[in-house]
Amino acid sequence: MTRFGYDERSAALLVFPVLAVLLVVAAFPIIYSFWVSLHDIVLTRPLRRPFVGFDNYLRIFDDARFWTAVARTTVYTLVCVAVTTFLAVLVALLLNEVFPGQRLLSALLLVPWATPSVVNGLMWKWIYDPTYGLLNGLLVQVGLLERYRVWLGDPDITLLLIANAAIWKQMPLAALLMIVTMKAIPEDLYRAARVDGANIWQRFVHVTLPALRPGLMLVLVYETMISIRHFDLFLIMTQGGPGDASFTLSWLIYVETFRSLRFGTGAAMSYVLAITTFALSWAVIRFLGKRI
Amino acid sequence: MARITCAALTKSYGAVLAVDALELSIGHGEFMVLLGPSGCGKTTTLNMIAGLEEISAGRLLFDETEVTWTPPHKREVAMVFQSYALYPNKTVRENIAFPLRLRGQSASEIERAVGAAAEQLEITHLLGRRPNELSGGQRQRVALGRAIVRKPSVFLMDEPLSNLDATLRLSMRGLIKRLHQELKATFVYVTHDQAEAMTLADRIAVMKGGLIQQLDTPEGIYERPANIFVAGFLGSPPINLVEGVIAGGAFTRGDFRLALTNPPQEGRAVVLGLRPEDVSAGGDVTARVELVSPLGSETHLDVLAEGGVALTLRVPKEWRAAPGDRLSFGIDPARLHIFDKASETRL
Amino acid sequence: MKKPLAPRVTRAILLTLFSALFVLYVAGPVAWLVSSSLQSEAEITRVPPNWLPQNPSIANFEAIFSAADRVVTYENRRQGEALTSSFLPSGAANLLPAMRNSLVIGLWVAALNLLLSVTAAYAIAVIDFRGRRATLYTVLATRVVPDIALVVPLFLVIRNLGLINSLGALVVTYLAITVPFTIFILISYFEGIPRDLYRAARIDGCGHGRALWHVYLPLSLPALVASLTFAFLTSWNEFVFALVLTQNVAAQTLPIIISGFIMDFTTSFSFVNAAGVIAIIPPVLMAVVFQRYIVSGLTAGAVKG
Ligand SMILES: Nc1ncnc2c1ncn2[C@@H]1O[C@H](COP(=O)(O)OP(=O)(O)OP(=O)(O)O)[C@@H](O)[C@H]1O
Ligand SMILES: [Mg+2]
Repeated sequence: MTRFGYDERSAALLVFPVLAVLLVVAAFPIIYSFWVSLHDIVLTRPLRRPFVGFDNYLRIFDDARFWTAVARTTVYTLVCVAVTTFLAVLVALLLNEVFPGQRLLSALLLVPWATPSVVNGLMWKWIYDPTYGLLNGLLVQVGLLERYRVWLGDPDITLLLIANAAIWKQMPLAALLMIVTMKAIPEDLYRAARVDGANIWQRFVHVTLPALRPGLMLVLVYETMISIRHFDLFLIMTQGGPGDASFTLSWLIYVETFRSLRFGTGAAMSYVLAITTFALSWAVIRFLGKRI
Repeated sequence: MARITCAALTKSYGAVLAVDALELSIGHGEFMVLLGPSGCGKTTTLNMIAGLEEISAGRLLFDETEVTWTPPHKREVAMVFQSYALYPNKTVRENIAFPLRLRGQSASEIERAVGAAAEQLEITHLLGRRPNELSGGQRQRVALGRAIVRKPSVFLMDEPLSNLDATLRLSMRGLIKRLHQELKATFVYVTHDQAEAMTLADRIAVMKGGLIQQLDTPEGIYERPANIFVAGFLGSPPINLVEGVIAGGAFTRGDFRLALTNPPQEGRAVVLGLRPEDVSAGGDVTARVELVSPLGSETHLDVLAEGGVALTLRVPKEWRAAPGDRLSFGIDPARLHIFDKASETRL
Repeated sequence: MKKPLAPRVTRAILLTLFSALFVLYVAGPVAWLVSSSLQSEAEITRVPPNWLPQNPSIANFEAIFSAADRVVTYENRRQGEALTSSFLPSGAANLLPAMRNSLVIGLWVAALNLLLSVTAAYAIAVIDFRGRRATLYTVLATRVVPDIALVVPLFLVIRNLGLINSLGALVVTYLAITVPFTIFILISYFEGIPRDLYRAARIDGCGHGRALWHVYLPLSLPALVASLTFAFLTSWNEFVFALVLTQNVAAQTLPIIISGFIMDFTTSFSFVNAAGVIAIIPPVLMAVVFQRYIVSGLTAGAVKG
């Protein structure tokens, strides 16, 4: 028996506003974007927008820039996810201890999280500054570096330097997630392990690590989804350069759409990125879910 | 609004049939207890009466009015939960006043009603506290206060005493019984504690697997269990159940024979039920004592009669017996329960 | 019984060491940013750099807050200010209005977000209605698409509606990108509230509106604060949508104006840093003040996995 009772009526009323907003600002654009991706739309040529089917998609795969971008994005994402997760576990281990000052450090942890990405980009760009930056000054003063370097001008490390800025900002949330996961581990497990004669390291490997599994999964999936779409830092810090050293997929979409004004291919690329992100998170859940 | 009629009331969760076409009519001012093992559908039934679970099929009536689709806040029933469910952010006074506030009563009316309810439950000194500053028994009194302050004509209670310790449970049981007499309201009370059911109920509905097995007064349920399940569910220690056949107008199992006053047809496979206390001193049944468990006021004996029939007997403490002794006792045929083995129903 | 001394000392040393590293890593860059913002142009262009300002000056901040009163001419722009000996960018006067835009947008988003996500989260977490799962998945699915992918079609939609440069368009956009997450936070929190409390409320006479108002909201303070903060911070910090959906300075938000300074090579380093500090202060303050709530709110869903 189906019936539209009091519960259904209330629920409809309560979720309607959100669904309306999401329909207009998210669902419709997503669908519209698919329509755009099937047409050859160039903004400098507004009147002729022929239907080209999946040509835009096919064209992407013939585009050398696309494959460069895939390579850059892969390296960047892997570094971000791996380092963020590693640091997050370390920080969580530290802040999960009880010691004087622990509360202060926990408050400090929220500073990078709250920092706007534009300021984050500005800050690190300034730190990497070739003439007045902190990094050169510091390394030369302590004698680790002989001559000032143009950090962001070195194609071999640009991606890593941007990743460093990104990691600084996104590590706190990951650490928070790890801390709550650790707090949820029953104290009895540690007592039991102690009684069994396990030392600190053994307790970490045999008690902490397995119990962190759900938190780790969440962090890995979340960080992958976030890192793969990073854009702000690339615009602020390098604009894809030097050369194509930081030419990632998000940057490619931006250039294609807002510099070349080829909206059709831009939308097609967006779809490729969205589907890839989705597939990747799925893969992370499926494969790592069983391993860890 | 005080008579509750469930007509083919059904609740299914996907493939799980939690309550199966329940027929139950609860009279005005009656104290109805729903009794049964865990998962038998008691809570589901109660929640359907309250409106907290949507009814999958069937109808529910309060007096002559159909309320099948009425949302809970329009049903005017009061309810007490096993978990007390007090609002943690409100004081005791605010908790009790809450239903009245929602009904837009004036401050002075509310003050008076809360005061009266608190007095009746002896919690006046707790009115300023918050729930986390109360003991379990006090919390349940507050929950009762929140229920009675509205003077509803239907009270629903879902295992209200199972989180309390044994002594507290006993005194709260008395309190609930008193409330029922004073309020003259209809009570539907869910429990899996048979002692609670026996002492409180006007009638008991014994449930299993979403079905009512028997609906009767406490005496009726105990004296004339409708089937093996009901017989086994009530009574402590539980009823002795012995499988056998009818031969020569008597229950037979090997060398074990008991003459029956009103035997079923010859050769039928049956199950004999014997309450542990339904034995008398001196008789023609003999058995060897296996285990003696003195409880102070009485003694439980595990004995082995002929034909390998093991029985538990509940006897006065004056019966002195030691393991290995041979014991003779009598069984009144009128107090025996005979069930059909195939259908498990009473014959 | 006290633990033996040696392990306690080791532990103390390790904790101190790692705490120091942690502070250095987390606070170091920001400290350097603040330090730079307090230096004059002459000081900041010294090699090697000054770790701390020799003559701390708040001239940059003064410049920002008085930029509107100043006439920027070709001369004083090229020569720099005598006082700060810094180059005040021509756009400096846009900083304060941009900050106002960011603030207005942030407050609207925070308020509307709370309204929308509280009601939706209550419905999804508490009411057992047909289409519950579908609603939840629809809401979460909109976040699977990367912002950069959403930006293109959204730009086209908003442009066709003639709403480019309107703060309202940004508010609605930010609602859409914050609501799924705050709904998720609130659902996790609401589901942690004992079901019997809901039942008691309904029995006591609450419809869904009153159950939400009288029972769920008073018990969800951390999640509410976390949602508010998250919504405000996200819109205060957001960059890509603001970049594409606003094109004249009157409508632009703080991150856009600041990114303009960063791209402009003539702008003084210390001035840009000061602008960055100004942009960082409100969100960081908010995060630190509401720390307890944010942590328990943001991580409410994590423990269940
Ligand atoms: N939300 C639900 N979804 C699916 N099955 C449910 C749900 N709620 C209850 N059930 C099932 O319905 C049946 C009856 O449950 P109910 O809670 O009414 O039992 P009960 O008699 O109150 O048990 P208890 O004494 O343990 O409280 C059980 O088999 C239970 O597993
Ligand atoms: Mg139950």
